[in-house]
Formats: sequence, C-alpha cells, structure tokens
Amino acid sequence: MKLILTGILAALLAATAARADEMVFTSWGGTTQEAQTKSWAAPFEANSGIKVLQDGPTDYGKLKAMVEGGSVAWDVVDVEMDFAIKAAKDGLLEPIDFNVVPKADLDPRFTTEHAVGSFYYSFVLAWNKGAVSGEPTGWADMFDLTKFPGKRTFYKWSAPGVIEIALLADGVPADKLYPLDLDRAFKKLDTIKSEIVWWDSGAQSQQLIASGEAAFGQLWNGRVFALEQDGADVGASWKQNMTAADVLVIPKGSKNKASAMKFLATATSAKSQAMFAEASGYAPINTAAKAEMPADVVKSLPDAYVDGQINLDMNYWAENRDKIAERWYAWQAK
Amino acid sequence: MSGNFLHRQPILRRPDGIGGALPALTLIALFFVVPVVALLLRSVTEPVPGLQNYAILFGEGTYARVFFNTFLVATVVTAVTAIVAFPVAWMLAIMPPALGSIVFGIIILSMWTNLLTRTYAWMVLLQRTGVINRTLMDIGLISEPLPLINNLTGVTIGMVYIMLPFMILPLVGTLRAIDPMTLRAAALCGASPFDAFRRILLPLSLPGIAAGGLMVFVMSLGYFVTPTLLGGTSNMMLAAMIAQMIQSLLNWGLGSAAAFILLLVTMALYALQLRLVGAKRMTGGI
Repeated sequence: MKLILTGILAALLAATAARADEMVFTSWGGTTQEAQTKSWAAPFEANSGIKVLQDGPTDYGKLKAMVEGGSVAWDVVDVEMDFAIKAAKDGLLEPIDFNVVPKADLDPRFTTEHAVGSFYYSFVLAWNKGAVSGEPTGWADMFDLTKFPGKRTFYKWSAPGVIEIALLADGVPADKLYPLDLDRAFKKLDTIKSEIVWWDSGAQSQQLIASGEAAFGQLWNGRVFALEQDGADVGASWKQNMTAADVLVIPKGSKNKASAMKFLATATSAKSQAMFAEASGYAPINTAAKAEMPADVVKSLPDAYVDGQINLDMNYWAENRDKIAERWYAWQAK
Repeated sequence: MSGNFLHRQPILRRPDGIGGALPALTLIALFFVVPVVALLLRSVTEPVPGLQNYAILFGEGTYARVFFNTFLVATVVTAVTAIVAFPVAWMLAIMPPALGSIVFGIIILSMWTNLLTRTYAWMVLLQRTGVINRTLMDIGLISEPLPLINNLTGVTIGMVYIMLPFMILPLVGTLRAIDPMTLRAAALCGASPFDAFRRILLPLSLPGIAAGGLMVFVMSLGYFVTPTLLGGTSNMMLAAMIAQMIQSLLNWGLGSAAAFILLLVTMALYALQLRLVGAKRMTGGI
C-alpha cells in the first residue's frame, strides 16, 4: 500500500519528467534560480544540445517521494548542504562521477561523494536605515531590546544559523560553538521571542527589511546585495558572518544521470561559477572562479570577509538535524 | 398494467444511474480512498510497525498544543463567522429577490477569487507598516502599531473573511423557510424585537447555524495557507504541522498519523452533524 501511494505520487510528479535529450534542474526559484538558469543552464544547452527544463521550488518531501516511488522527475537539485549529507546517508542520492565532474578546483568544504557545491553564502546582519536609530555592530545587538527596539527577523526553518547567533550573542566564543548548547541558545532566544518575525523565503526577508516591517534581521548576503542593487536604504554588518552552502545533488534513480553529471561539470566550472556570483552576490565554490570576476564583485562576496567568519558546521547539523528540528519547532510553537 | 409499469420504471433506471456515477466514483476511489488507506498504513508502519506515532502525537506537549491551537482557532473563527454572517443572511432572506441576487453574486464572487491573493491582501492591510496601522497612526488614534498580524487576531480576521460565504449560504436557506408571520405574531403578543429574535428567530434558524457552523469548523480545522501567512509560529495549526513533518522533517509516519487524526475528527463531526441536523437537511437544505 505504501508503494501504491508513493507510486501514484511519483507518477504524478513524473508527468514533468524529461525526454532523453532533456533534463530537469530544480532550485529555489526567484532571483537565485534565474541566475542559475542564465549562468549554468544556458551555456550548457549551447554546448551539449541537451535542453534544461526548470522546475521548483526544491521540496525535500517530493524528492523523497520520487526516489522511493522509483519515478524520479528531477535530475539535478539544489539543496542545503546539511540535507545533502543526511540524504546521502539515507540512500536518496547518486554518487557523483568525478571522472565527468573535474574535482581539482572545487572547494573541498563543499564537496562530498554525493554532492558538489552550488554556491556558498553568508548570513549577515542587515537593517533598514530608516527604521533603526544608530548602527547595529554585531549579533548581540539583535538581542538588545533597549538599545535596538523593534521587530527582528530570523530564518524560520530549523537550519544552521539562528542557534549559533544566539550562542554568540550570549558570549560563547566562536571556536566553542559546537556541540551546540541548545538549552542556552533557546534561553537566549526566549528573551526576544515576542519581537521575532520569521521569514521563510529569501523574497520575504527582503520585503520585511525593505518595508521596515522588521527593523533588522539575519539575511542571506545575496539578498542584501540585491536590495542594495535596487537602491533600498539598507545597512549590513559582516562581523562574525556565517557561511553555509547549497549543493547540487542527483536524486537516486535519475533517468538522465549522464546528462546530469555533464550539467554538474558545467555548473561548477570556474566560468559558470563566476557568472553566477556576479549575478547573485553569492560566492563561487570553484576556487579558480575569482580570476574570472571583476574586482568589485570579488570585494562584495563572503570571501572578502573571512576575518572573524564562522563556518557553520554542516556535518554536525547533518548528524543532529532531526533532534534539533524537533526542539526547534517545539520551541517555536510555544 | 399502467400502475405496474410506473412501479417498474425506477428499478429499470437504477443501473443507468450507477453507470453515470462511475467516473466520479472511480476518481474518488483512486485518488481519495486508496491514498487514505495508504496513509493509515504508513502511520502504523513507519519507522517500525506499531502505534508509536500516535503515542508520540498524544504524549508530547508540543503536539497537544498544536491540537489545542487548531481547535481554538476553529472555534473562534466559527463563532465570529456566525455572528457576522447572521445579519447578512437575514437581510438576504427578507430582501426583494432582484436586489438579493446582486448581493448574493457579490458574496459568491468573493468565494471565487483566489485564496492566496486574498490572504496576501490581508497581509498588506494588517502588517505593522500596513494600510490600517498607517492610517490609524496618521490620524493620531494610536502611537504604536497595533499587533494585527502574526497572531490569533490576524488568523481570525483572515479566516472569518474567507469562511463567511460558507456560513451565509446555508443560513439564508433556513431563514427563508421561516414564516415571517411567526415574527409578526410574536410582536402582536408583545414581544420586544430582541425577544422575538432570541425566542423565535434564533431557535428556528438553529439548523442553518449548525449546518454552516459545522462546515466552517471542519474547513477551519484543516486550513493551511491563511494561518501560515497571517499567524505566528505560536499559533501553529495541524495542517502546517503536517506539512512540516512531511516536507522538512521527512517524518512521514508521524505526518500520516497526524493527518489521519484530522480526518477522523472531521468524520466524527460530520456524523454528529448528521445526527443533529438530519441528513436530508444537510444535503438538500442548503
């Protein structure tokens, strides 16, 4: 019966499955996927003659349903790295063929047996200059309701970032963050809980800050970059910025595996990564990409703010994902 | 004989009726019954066979809170909807038919407008920097924005607005069937308008309120979009929790169990309605 349900679900999803000379790329939509289409899919189509169909947004439940039902409609999927590590363990992903995907220049932080980097980003502290008096200088200011009153916005889902921010603000040294002290983090978060507005998509985080609905918040640097490009009156602090990565994976049972591997080779190449970084404000995962980029773009990337930068521990998160998520959502619902 | 012939006709017709219903029945069997059975099985087989998913749902405070929230929101929304809908339904019932059909059209039209669009519109109106708060602050009525969104207030406003037609429609049917003479008789006997309402109109309209109320309550129980967009995380309802379990936690066993409980509650409420109001009124009275 279980198989029937997943079978039906998968068959419905597979209605979008690609033909032999096509493949499906799935990402999170919005400006990020537009940049991926332009920088990766377009040159790939031109070189290989394989058409890349776009789908989205990424949905881990759907991905699991497809793999379990044996009818996989997605060939390459952009996912968060901690999910990729967990999904590989659960047998949901194809191993990457590094004979097709050149590994030499890929940032080893974001390369695993089952995933190659997509791009990497930093969480930064951003604020609406009209809604905040003075300038927040670090994560601790997000917890200071007297000095900085008003709503603050954080990422809604259980993911690397907010817990670490709370611990840093509570005085935990950056090199002592892991293993995460959840009790301490939630206690710290309790002090501002009533003032938190959660954002669940990048577009929403931009809207909240740009409108002043939230005075400041924890944002992806690419989204702040886009706000600045649009002329919004926002400020950003890179102090203790936190890197995390999206990676590209191939769901187990992909019908266009060979095309998908070739696509990964193009997407992670220095040139495609440079193009994407320029369009999105996110950092390349190919270490040779910087040479291909204009100097002012290089200056705006997380790479330029390595001083005090914190690498969120994806392996720790992959290991403890379910346990933390359970507590996270229980705390949120309180 | 003609009598015999007439008698036979419905018997002859019956197979045709079933034949015509086959496509719909097949659809429902394939896309409702089969998945529901699969869902039930999943809830007692994943990750291991047993009732552990149900034990977790009933045993942990978080989930109890979500269940409580779900029923709280559904109750508040149903009560407010009934209060707001009653005058409208009464007006529609006594209005000249030509005018009534225009008002009816407006109500139906609101039902046909995309749910997401309407909910986003409420976000724009209700948020701190939204139209309502800006206006109130500009005219000096308030100095700080009212908390109208990301809480129960926001969810109630947004959902009542969406549920109104589902209360108004059955209520109009019931109110139209009430003989206006009963009210006149009450007045002649010296009842004040309020007494007439409380002792005549309200009791007579109860079947309509029950039908509409149950429909609104049941729909509210499973609502996802509006509570998610207008509520805060502390108002989380069952549907949002199920989505979270399926999509981000990938805990399909627990998600299935929660979905199955929701289905059971809904069916129990429907059975209650059948008993209270009677199947005929339910299906034919609207």
